[in-house]
Parts: sequence; structure tokens; C-alpha cells
Amino acid sequence: MNARRFALPALLLLAGCAHSSMVLLPDEDGGHGEVAILKPDGSGETLVSEANSRASLGGSPTIKPLGAKGLKPTEAALVSALPPPAKSFTLYFLEGTTDMTRESAPVVDEIRAEIAARPGAEVQVTGHTDTVGSDGDNDALSQKRAEEILNLLANKGFDRTIMSAVGRGERELKVPTGDNVSSPVNRRVEVIVR
Amino acid sequence: MVRVSLFLVSLAALVSAPAAAEIGRIKSSTGTASVERGAAHIAASTGQELMPGDALVTGKDGRIALTFIDNTRFAVGPNSRIALSKFEYDRTKQQGSFVTKVERGSLAVVSGRIAKSGRDAMQVATPESLLGVRGTRFLVVVPK
Repeated sequence: MNARRFALPALLLLAGCAHSSMVLLPDEDGGHGEVAILKPDGSGETLVSEANSRASLGGSPTIKPLGAKGLKPTEAALVSALPPPAKSFTLYFLEGTTDMTRESAPVVDEIRAEIAARPGAEVQVTGHTDTVGSDGDNDALSQKRAEEILNLLANKGFDRTIMSAVGRGERELKVPTGDNVSSPVNRRVEVIVR
Repeated sequence: MVRVSLFLVSLAALVSAPAAAEIGRIKSSTGTASVERGAAHIAASTGQELMPGDALVTGKDGRIALTFIDNTRFAVGPNSRIALSKFEYDRTKQQGSFVTKVERGSLAVVSGRIAKSGRDAMQVATPESLLGVRGTRFLVVVPK
């Protein structure tokens, strides 16, 4: 009780007259998530679960709708400065080769254009397998596949220093199947430009 | 023998050092903006790689936009100091944990894979609170 009586004025002094706050925004796809406001030690929980609401931070948080006025101009400027979402491209290869399918060849030019349009672009080459074989084998296989395709792209003039290879194994199937099902659609390489 | 172990050490460094610790890159910056890495101050230029423990610092006209390897995106406003205190991410499993401290200023966030990988796997600390990020877009303002 005593500790609490002393802690509160000290907090107010630290924070000065203006309080910290947060605003939960709608996601770019229209949905929205949640933010839990906890005390610095991780205890307590006030859930901000309505999009376009403002919450004060510190003491006991209060949550209010943004209302018609919306964001402050400085806040709107901050949100508009966010980098665009990453863009994903999928490449398919003739089985067991690094020869791209006819449909995938033009995608390489789309990737090139996307990189050129993004200052400081990075490229993540992600290998995916089907469900044939063990998880461990598929992790290794997809990593090796991603590295092969990274080299292929480097040979096509893509900057090696902005690329990285990741193997996702069979965790992210394009088309869901049971275990040990061969699927050309699932055996693919995803190129993420961010 | 010494030569062999030196060779092994440098081989290990070659294999493990590059890109291993890179957690994101700066996409754009304006005005006075820098990355603090220990005692070093690095200009916040486009393409600058970021490491765990880095702090993003802006002056009154400064802004930084950046992305992380889990697809999290940040915009840092003027007069800010944002510490990337912890960033651990398994790119194969897409799991990890991420703690950012907004010491002062403003930060807009679009969360990425880490926030999806577990309850409060992504946290944003302010001087008076700890935010558990549950898959979303939001902003935080910490006045001086």
C-alpha cells in the first residue's frame, strides 16, 4: 500500500505532463488484430481489440474510439511512411532440374521489376517440398533447392548480396495433401521481395 | 597444428559470420537518422543491415522506414529512440521472439511472422508498459 502511494507520483513525474499512447489500426486487408497492454513486469492485461481505438499507456489504461477526427496529422504521416508489404512470386521447375517451366520464365522479369521498384530491396528465396519423405529430409532438400535457385538468379544478374535462401520443408503446402503424397504444385520455390 | 586450428577458426568464421545476424534492412530515411550499434553511430542509409541490439535514432526532422526478415515493418518518427533489444527468428520454422523498446518518440508497426508464432512472441516496451502484439498494425507515441 505504501509502495503504491509513492510509486504513482514518481511515475507521473517521469512521464511529465504528456502520456504515452497507442492506436490500434485496421490491417491493410481490412481485418485487425489485438494488442495487450501489460505492466512493465508483464502482469495485468488490458486488451485493445477494436480497430481505430486509442489507448493511454501507464497507470490504468483507458481505451477510446478514435472518432471522426481520426489520427493526428503526425500519426497519419507516420503510418504512411511504413514500407509496402512484401510481395511473393512462385517459380516451378521441371522435376529434378533447375529448368524453369514455361509459365515461370516470365515471372523472373516480374521479380526483377519488383526489386527495381523497391529501394533497399531484399530477396528471400524459399524452397518448399511436397510431403514425400521425412520432415528432416524435406528441410534439407528445400534448403538445397533454395540455394540452387538463388545461384540461378545470381547467374541471371540478380545481386547476390541482397538474396538469402530459406528451406521451409513441407510446412507450407500450396495444396494440402496427406503424408507421402507426390505433388508438383507443392514442389516450388517462392521468391519474396521486401 | 596451430596453422590447422587457425584455418578451422577462419573457416568457421566464414561459414557462420555473414548474414547470420542480419535481422532487417533500412528501406528509406530522411533528415537526421542513425543506427547506434554499441559505441558506433552508423548513418541510416537505404539498404543498411540491422543487427539485434541496434537502436534507431532520429532527430527533429528524421524518419526511418525498415523491414525485418520475418516481414515485420516499422516506421520511426522524428525525435525517437527505438531499441531492437531482442530478435531471434528461425527462418525454417518461422518462429521466434522480438522485443522492441520505444524509449522516446513514435513508432508504427505492422507485425510479421514472429507475432504469429506464439502468444506475445512480439513485444513492444514503452517506459510505462509492455505491449503484447497479437498480429496487427498499430502505432505507439512516447512523448519526451
